[in-house]
Amino acid sequence: MNAAASTEAVDTLVIGGGIAGLQTALDLADLGLQVTIVEKDASIGGKMIGLSKVFPTLDCASCITTPKMAAAAHHENIRILTLAEVESVMRQDEDFSVRITLQPRYVDEDLCIGCRLCEYACDADVADEFEGGLSAHRAIYIPFTNAIPQLAVLDPMECNLCGQCAVACPTDAVVFDQKPREIEITARSVVVATGFETTPMGAKEEYRGNEIANVISPLTMERLLAPHGPYGRVLRPADGKVPDSVAFVQCAGSRDKSLGVPYCSRVCCMYAIKQAMLLSGALPFADITIYYMDIRAFGKGYETFFQNASAMGIEFVKGKVARIDEAEDRNVEVRFEHIDELGQVEERTHDLVVLSLGMLPAADLRDRMPIGVSSDGFVTVPKPTIEPCRTNEPGIFVAGTAAGPKDIVDTIAEAGAAAMAVSGYLKSMETAGCAVCAVSAGTETR
Amino acid sequence: MNSEEIRIGVYICHCGGNISDKVDVEKVAEDAGKLPDVKVSQTYAFMCADPGQELIAEDIEKHGLNRIVVASCSPSLHETTFRSAVVRGGLNPFLYEHVNIREQVSWVHVSTGEATGKATTLVQAAIGRVRHHEPLSLIKVGATSRALVVGGGVAGLRAALDFANYGLPVTIIEKSLRLGGQVADLDTVFPTGESGADLVRTLVEEVSAAEGITVLTDTRVAGATGYVGNFNVVVEQKSSNGSTEELKIKAGAVIVATGSRPYEPVKGEFGFERFPEVVTLPDFLQILKKAPDGDELIVNGKTIRRAAFIHCVGSRQIEGIHEPKPGRPLNENCSRVCCTATLKAESDLIEKFPGVFVYDFYRDIRTYGRGHEEIYERASSDGVVFLRYEPATPPMVTEALSNGAGSMLVTVKDSLTAGMEIEVAVDLVVLAVGMEPADVGALAESLKLPAGADGFLQEVHPKLRPVEMAVAGVVLAGTCQSPRDIEESCASASAAAVKVAGLLTRGYVELEPYVARVNADRCEGTGICLSQCEYDGALEIVETEVDGKVIRKAVVNEALCTGCGACVAVCPTRAIDINGWTLDQFEAMVDVMCADPMEVAGG
Repeated sequence: MNAAASTEAVDTLVIGGGIAGLQTALDLADLGLQVTIVEKDASIGGKMIGLSKVFPTLDCASCITTPKMAAAAHHENIRILTLAEVESVMRQDEDFSVRITLQPRYVDEDLCIGCRLCEYACDADVADEFEGGLSAHRAIYIPFTNAIPQLAVLDPMECNLCGQCAVACPTDAVVFDQKPREIEITARSVVVATGFETTPMGAKEEYRGNEIANVISPLTMERLLAPHGPYGRVLRPADGKVPDSVAFVQCAGSRDKSLGVPYCSRVCCMYAIKQAMLLSGALPFADITIYYMDIRAFGKGYETFFQNASAMGIEFVKGKVARIDEAEDRNVEVRFEHIDELGQVEERTHDLVVLSLGMLPAADLRDRMPIGVSSDGFVTVPKPTIEPCRTNEPGIFVAGTAAGPKDIVDTIAEAGAAAMAVSGYLKSMETAGCAVCAVSAGTETR
Repeated sequence: MNSEEIRIGVYICHCGGNISDKVDVEKVAEDAGKLPDVKVSQTYAFMCADPGQELIAEDIEKHGLNRIVVASCSPSLHETTFRSAVVRGGLNPFLYEHVNIREQVSWVHVSTGEATGKATTLVQAAIGRVRHHEPLSLIKVGATSRALVVGGGVAGLRAALDFANYGLPVTIIEKSLRLGGQVADLDTVFPTGESGADLVRTLVEEVSAAEGITVLTDTRVAGATGYVGNFNVVVEQKSSNGSTEELKIKAGAVIVATGSRPYEPVKGEFGFERFPEVVTLPDFLQILKKAPDGDELIVNGKTIRRAAFIHCVGSRQIEGIHEPKPGRPLNENCSRVCCTATLKAESDLIEKFPGVFVYDFYRDIRTYGRGHEEIYERASSDGVVFLRYEPATPPMVTEALSNGAGSMLVTVKDSLTAGMEIEVAVDLVVLAVGMEPADVGALAESLKLPAGADGFLQEVHPKLRPVEMAVAGVVLAGTCQSPRDIEESCASASAAAVKVAGLLTRGYVELEPYVARVNADRCEGTGICLSQCEYDGALEIVETEVDGKVIRKAVVNEALCTGCGACVAVCPTRAIDINGWTLDQFEAMVDVMCADPMEVAGG
């Protein structure tokens, strides 16, 4: 699965192995096209595999993501490169020449059998980013239970070079001196599915997201709510207390020009409502408050989801939160303008506060390939209305949150659309020959 | 029955706690392991994850397993996942049995004891059943490569164009005389500001230039029969002399792009049809489009100086507050496009007629899309005054009695102004009406297409199979599925097209083998089965002459049979069974469920 020759030709290179990239690859592969997925992390699955449950159906996220991950891994037309970063995509006649760096795993992919004996032998504990830093993994580890590939990866910054992992490994797969490798792939088309990052916790100074331990990110809350999460239950990180009062601060990284994020991130209302609902199941006696500007429950079945949450007793308070401070007993004080109560400024104290962070593009690809990026940082789509997946470069397409914030439902639909656009483009290249290279001849050649 | 030794592997999934928090999975596995012929019985955190699947594939080889049982979530999620794992282990995929101990056990039972007991029973019944499994194969049926697109709006055009660009033939039928649907009428569209007519023209020109697209306008579906790969759709086309011609279209798949229609307010709703200057947003857009440039907007001979726009008319309706229209469900959904469309219309109005003052009555402003928030800001900076209402206290539109500023009064309890009652006099009220599904008519009836409680057509699963319907070979494009804007409609249309391309590109389709089969030795040709069969052509009685005697036997058409089992229930000689769901299998399950647990364990 992860082997790499120095050069080869594929129909489509998909950059990103999250839900957008996986769905695009699966749809293309089902049409008989040869696809290579390039994933920068050690496992495919993207952001979605770390979520607890997903709105509005409340399916567990793993149950939707893992079969797509496995289907891609086992598809005869799909190859997956992990720990791989695209360095450059250059037009070369009708094709694209793609340079990729394979970061060292320090584990031989052909030899590792995923038995985890190295992990059990390792002494070094490292904060587990997959679990929001709330639990630890070893310096050599399998990224998470349902990771694909099930191969160990070593973190050289945390390894104390004791060598116990190599001793424990039954297949001699640990290779301490692996080096980054560069490979080149020729691709007839490219799909950018590089996804998003959340806006930084510390971006809005007034919210002190990086300073107050009981102010957490929504992805951390996802892990707290996941049945197989770090604690197996909802506890606040600062002191392990079961929270009696939890608040969500909406638009904590969106619709805010002071952060340079003027746009709506589309998903935060719904994930906050979903987390609130899951919390009221996990903590039936807790008070849950959502501070919001506008509730944007616009998708199919979303409004009824919102109304149900409201009927369940989750309190929706219209008002922009101005400031967050630490209160006594490591509680959190929220200061806000209470619009429905004469617009008075109020302070309320909660045990735990979630900042409903927005979406930023995860990758800036401008310098690496001939595509445009708009002022909001997302990939430019010149004709969004009727060609939502085309970039300004023929043969390069975009899917999912790389082209702007969107939820999983919309991402999966768009991934299908990207696959359709790619296959139509490839057909046109077969019939028309060099039509496109005539357009870009002289602009991006080497 | 096979004479080979039965060797069963049983796998119980934790579902990362979804199951194991409630069900003692180790106990279930331990008890199952005591049953005869069970060679492997174990648990795993996520059976559907790759390591879980590999466990099955490896054990088949290692332990010579020839029957597999997985107890996990609903089979609708993962039956096919595990079938493919079984295939990787070298077994026939139908030697696999799926048990649902999540939706049917851990998610619905409170006591661990009860949940574990029920899971144990279900798993053991499946073990009883799986012994009787036989290797089956998918039924391969030749398929027509043509797709039929129903609806010639932007979604239908986009889907047809994609399908044709992929190189397969496609027919679009459109009930009206022209293509482009509602978008064709829009002066400009958000967020790009393109003209709706230009946008449609671009698509139509591409459709005309593409090879393999047949367009039939003024045409409706009269009825449809068949199944995935081989639908026969009868359409009626009106000709210019008023006569109707009936055409038959053979299609391998149907892309439904029948779209939506604007909500029509009931009489009196926000003054609709009580005051002539209360209009819907689509009507207002036409008024604005046709209004000649000048200093003033004139409607019904009156100069419009102040206008009110009211959001969520026929959207976000709440039971107990709103009344459904007769014969219709409440429109509980958000209609998604009206906020941005309304704000854009307000700015367009102010920028064309700078003297007009605009009030906007809203519940939540939902300018969620890329480039939409800018439209909200533009309306704000154009001077629109926003007033916010709660669903229980909507704005009231009444007649202005004094000779004041406007002909109507809009009164609202404004939550942005400390809940004060605010009255504004206006000359025009624009209702931002939501979307309702358009009538899908004979197509939905004859193919039994499911719709949700909201009346929109229903996908199988919003994430796993977002454009497919439960009826195989029928996919959804655009607003027939739910409200969405042009970009989202086109994305879903392309996603629908790619699914159909994948389905029809090979020239054949594969159907599930769960169909009726007749034991010819037992069949006496009574024909009772035929009288109960609901599917035309699925069963027939064939007469043959053997030794001078006419013998009647039931014969199954596997492509048309749905495996419903009605024939099985009525056969007096037990000559008919459903593949994979035989009466022997049901009996085996019942035997296990009714047996003394000790007896089951002892064999």
